[in-house]
Amino acid sequence: MFKNYFKTTIRNLRRNKGFAFINIAGLAVGMAAAILILLWAQNELSTDRFYKNESRIYEMYNRDKDAAGNKWAWPNTPKILATTLKNDYPEVEDAVRYNNVTFLLTQGEKHLNVQGAFADSGFLNVFDFPLKEGVSKQCLGSVYNIVLTEKLAKKFFGNENAIGKTVRIDSVHNCTVTAVLKDLPPNTQFNFEYLLPWSYMDKIGWSDSSWGNNSVFTYALLKPGVSQAAFDAKIKDITINHTKGSSYPSSTDVFTQPLSRAYLYSKSENGKLSDGPIKTVRLFLVIAVFILLIACINFMNLSTARSEKRAREVGIRKVLGAQRIKLIFQFIGESILFSLGSFLIALFIVKISLSGFNTLVNKELAINYSDPVFWLFAIAFVLISGILAGMYPAFFLSAFKPVKVLKGTFKKAEAAINPRKVLVVVQFTFAIVLIISTLIIQKQIQHTLDRDAGYNRNNLVYIFGQGDIDKNFTLIKNDLLKDGSVVSITRSSNPITRRWSDSWGFIWPGSTKQDEKTDFVRLGADADFVKTIGVKLIAGRDIDVYNYPTDSTAVLLNETAVKSMRLENPVGTIIKSADNNTEQWHVVGVVKDFILESPYQKDINPMIIFGPAGSSGYVLHLKLNPANSTASNLAKMEKVFKEYNPQYPFEYVFADESYARKFDDTRRTSKLSSLFAGLTIFISCLGLFALAAYSAENRLKEIGVRKVLGASVFSITSLMSKDFLKLVIISFAIASPIAWFAMHKWLDGYSYRIAIQWWIFALAGLISVLIASATIIFHVLRAAIANPVNSLRTE
Amino acid sequence: MLELKGIYKWVNTGNHRTFLLKDVDMTVQAGEFISIMGPSGSGKSTLLNVIGMLDEFNEGEYIFMNESVHKLKEKQRSSLYKQYIGFVFQAYHLIDELTVYENIETPLIYQNIKTSERKAMVADILDRFQIVGKKDLFPTQLSGGQQQLVGIARALIANPKLLLADEPTGNLNSKQGEEIMNLFKQLNDEGMTIIQVTHSEKNAAYGSHIINLLDGMIQKN
Repeated sequence: MFKNYFKTTIRNLRRNKGFAFINIAGLAVGMAAAILILLWAQNELSTDRFYKNESRIYEMYNRDKDAAGNKWAWPNTPKILATTLKNDYPEVEDAVRYNNVTFLLTQGEKHLNVQGAFADSGFLNVFDFPLKEGVSKQCLGSVYNIVLTEKLAKKFFGNENAIGKTVRIDSVHNCTVTAVLKDLPPNTQFNFEYLLPWSYMDKIGWSDSSWGNNSVFTYALLKPGVSQAAFDAKIKDITINHTKGSSYPSSTDVFTQPLSRAYLYSKSENGKLSDGPIKTVRLFLVIAVFILLIACINFMNLSTARSEKRAREVGIRKVLGAQRIKLIFQFIGESILFSLGSFLIALFIVKISLSGFNTLVNKELAINYSDPVFWLFAIAFVLISGILAGMYPAFFLSAFKPVKVLKGTFKKAEAAINPRKVLVVVQFTFAIVLIISTLIIQKQIQHTLDRDAGYNRNNLVYIFGQGDIDKNFTLIKNDLLKDGSVVSITRSSNPITRRWSDSWGFIWPGSTKQDEKTDFVRLGADADFVKTIGVKLIAGRDIDVYNYPTDSTAVLLNETAVKSMRLENPVGTIIKSADNNTEQWHVVGVVKDFILESPYQKDINPMIIFGPAGSSGYVLHLKLNPANSTASNLAKMEKVFKEYNPQYPFEYVFADESYARKFDDTRRTSKLSSLFAGLTIFISCLGLFALAAYSAENRLKEIGVRKVLGASVFSITSLMSKDFLKLVIISFAIASPIAWFAMHKWLDGYSYRIAIQWWIFALAGLISVLIASATIIFHVLRAAIANPVNSLRTE
Repeated sequence: MLELKGIYKWVNTGNHRTFLLKDVDMTVQAGEFISIMGPSGSGKSTLLNVIGMLDEFNEGEYIFMNESVHKLKEKQRSSLYKQYIGFVFQAYHLIDELTVYENIETPLIYQNIKTSERKAMVADILDRFQIVGKKDLFPTQLSGGQQQLVGIARALIANPKLLLADEPTGNLNSKQGEEIMNLFKQLNDEGMTIIQVTHSEKNAAYGSHIINLLDGMIQKN
């Protein structure tokens, strides 16, 4: 029986190549898109879920209230938390800390600035990243140990065994390689190429035991059977208890987040970890389902549109004794066969487009063909889309009454609401929602790009202070100014495009207890901050420790800080730390607000720019001389840095490039939504194209009669186009509120945002009507121009 | 073999009820060759479809091989006609996507007959109708007469007791038509019960018995 069905299908395919192509191509493209999204979603959902003890690992979180009473949660914890948990709480099997760091690593003549991390000796027992060489036990056991990833080991030692060899850290200490890890999988949040023991951090004096310095990540491995709720209740007040009676008691709660949720639910909403990448994953899964559905709709539509051609076959088979159920199986089987063919083509499309998609989403996704789960999934995928696509045609086609179709009295039922039309409306609704969303996302990006950052990013570079830069800073500065490559330099505590530090607990004349909760972003400067960065000074003067020695304790405030501190005459105000009255700062100037963090954030946070006594000069900012070419400036700079800091490679970052990276995420969303919008439109148009063809064919006689009666080509064209464009307009009417609602929610995530304007909808409507018209015009015109004599003769 | 008693069939159009069949009584014995005649729209095909169980009727009784058809469920009816009835159509109604061989084979597939058995049965009938050489051709590659021959072969493949033919020669030229009618005659001589609908007096004459229909009623002569 199957052979008989199979032959009918294949021969039918061969006879209707155009139909088959549109069906299979549409379904294949839809499936490929769905597969790509599913690969991505699978990667997201499996992030950090592969450790042996995953179910018992928890990330430690803090929770506190800001000055306005809003709760917020964050994962940076005091360094002392891990040791306290391990020593005082029997529920804890192990607690490990993790902190990223970038050191210059030297091996022979090879110098590399590489991101690594400090980790407790138990880190690799808690997170069992697979080893390539060495053993994980004790590999971070003593101060001068280092664990490399395969990639880094290869860079230093080629294919030689790295174990026992030494790597020089920051040109200060030699560390011995005790283990080599396989490269980290793509689905982990950890990002390091080497691990250094925590004791090394102690050794170089970076460690501290303050409960107030929240800087590192802490993970607790709880003993089997320990309940999270009970443990959370027990540790809630751990920070409060340890700071009770100190000069500045903390009000911060501590709680745990299971590792399984650590990535997906990493965004704090009023102190609850209920949001994060999971939202995007859900959104894209919905998109995947819809794209697949739209491709399946093509199948349903084309199959039922061709029903008149298949009706005779159905009638004959019924007369010959086929029961309806067998015909249903035949048609569903047929669509599963289509689905299988499409799936194979989809796999091919995925294969050739995966690298492009990986660049787009910034991941390393791959299909694991050797994984039986993949094949199980593939079978399910083929069956589900086959059944989904074939269900409606199967029931529709198999219901024909043989007497009617065989006597030639069969006419397609012109129901008031033709299911085929409903399906086209579903397709176009989705396509139009995506078009509107894409337009709004792009508008939002442009709007934010156009926003004045409040400083001048042109010709501004920053350089991380490594090695001897700090020691030779004055010499470097003088040489750079002298050779004309740079017009000004400022030493700051962090790059102008990033927030590294913030603190609260300040008092000033007139401040209240509540004000001590006001969180200030911290920045640092020695001199020429205003000139180099290009911010606007609106009161007082710039910090300048070289001309005013007391400026070491000077600060600049931004406008928002002045406002939230309610200062009438900010310049000259003395600011003190609430916990330490000896530390005090005097305000020398006020700068206009500028964007340090996200340009999508409407309200700039209050900021204090500290003089050198309150900040470390980690980062140099340099304004290149606009009179010279950038290349010659950089060449001169390189010479200077090589002279005073010979061990280290000359590395710099352009502020404008760094600023542009703030848009990476939204740009990615924009690109993805354009991609999916394009695909949806493509697939929908394939379907519309074929439907137009069938409609033209079915109405051949009607058109012939109309032409004989004197209808013009134009009137016939508009008559036929109207039918299709009506559907597009209905889709538009349905899509607009959906898109408005969805985009309203999306824009809610950005406090600096556009208002949704009506013309975007008008444009989207116009675009969809134009695309739909272009799709159907070929068949419509061909039908309209045809000589009626030919069409009438065939009847 | 079959008996129709007081069969009515109608359709409602607006307030009117149009009768397609009106009080039809008819008895067919095994081995008969009946021709149904009548002008267009007289209900010939409807009657044939009712007999073939492809169409339902609104009133009356239909007994086929001692079964009350009007009391059967769809599934039982289907298995009844699958077993006992073969159909031949004016427009042949072969499946274009299947070869001659496969077309003839199809009814057997629906009766769940094994492949080897099917092969033998199809080979037999191809041989009997002398169309072995055409078995791999598609319907469109055949003349009308040949297509109808295949149609009849298909109708006979499952050894039905009753052959229903709806103007089997309507699309054929006179020579081809004659051949087909001779074949029917021969089949009838071999014991097959046949009911045909026809326009042609000449073709009707092949039958042992003629029923005249007018406006859905059997005309008594």
